[in-house]
Amino acid sequence: MIIKTTRFGTVTIDRARIITMRGGGILGFENLTQYVLVTQGENNPFWWLQSVEDGAKAFVVINPFVVTTDYEPVISDDDAVLLEITQPDEVFIMTIVTVRPGGETITTNLRAPIVVNLTKHVAKQIVLDQEEYSVRFPIADNSVDPEKGKEKEKTAPTLSTVR
Amino acid sequence: MLILTRKLGETIRIGDEITINVVDIKGKQVRLGIEAPPEVIVHREEIYRHIQEQNMLAVQAGGTGDSVLDDLWRRVVKKEEAE
Repeated sequence: MIIKTTRFGTVTIDRARIITMRGGGILGFENLTQYVLVTQGENNPFWWLQSVEDGAKAFVVINPFVVTTDYEPVISDDDAVLLEITQPDEVFIMTIVTVRPGGETITTNLRAPIVVNLTKHVAKQIVLDQEEYSVRFPIADNSVDPEKGKEKEKTAPTLSTVR
Repeated sequence: MLILTRKLGETIRIGDEITINVVDIKGKQVRLGIEAPPEVIVHREEIYRHIQEQNMLAVQAGGTGDSVLDDLWRRVVKKEEAE
């Protein structure tokens, strides 16, 4: 099937690769239920989760275990049933990345991971009861980018350097 | 809005499949036990809003597909090198 997207132009997607959202899918985007994962190179842990139904809607997502080793999301029994999870190895977890305009700190939402059943191609953004996981977990900061950091020294100090 | 008074241990039923039970009352806090089918979304209002807002912000990431991912990865790699 062919879809028009804002970020990738017109692309052909394999229907077998479509991930269907259940239980409301991504909060705030309950009307969008079909997505495809767009990856880029084997080494890059960032991916796009592109909506099939709305070409302008895509989320940057990441494998959270790349940016934090201290992460053990607990999937409730109800969600496991909803996503038809029977084996641990069919579960794949990704978290939504927020890139703010103006290049502030990049964060990912560890409190509400997207849980994917790789076998059934179904997914849901679950909200963890584990309050220790931040909705805005920082994964990169412009202040450590040597090139952009130099530019900033010439201008006003950024929030991250003031802090 | 429908307003009902319930005592500890009493239940409210919404439709055929949803029940809300008053499990505990301590001072100003009420613990509720909610039973609903898995497709019904149940969250604390404030966390639901918080995550919804974050999702709205996340979907606005601009740029073309590959360049954004490239740039992100470059920045994360640099962070790790700096640490």
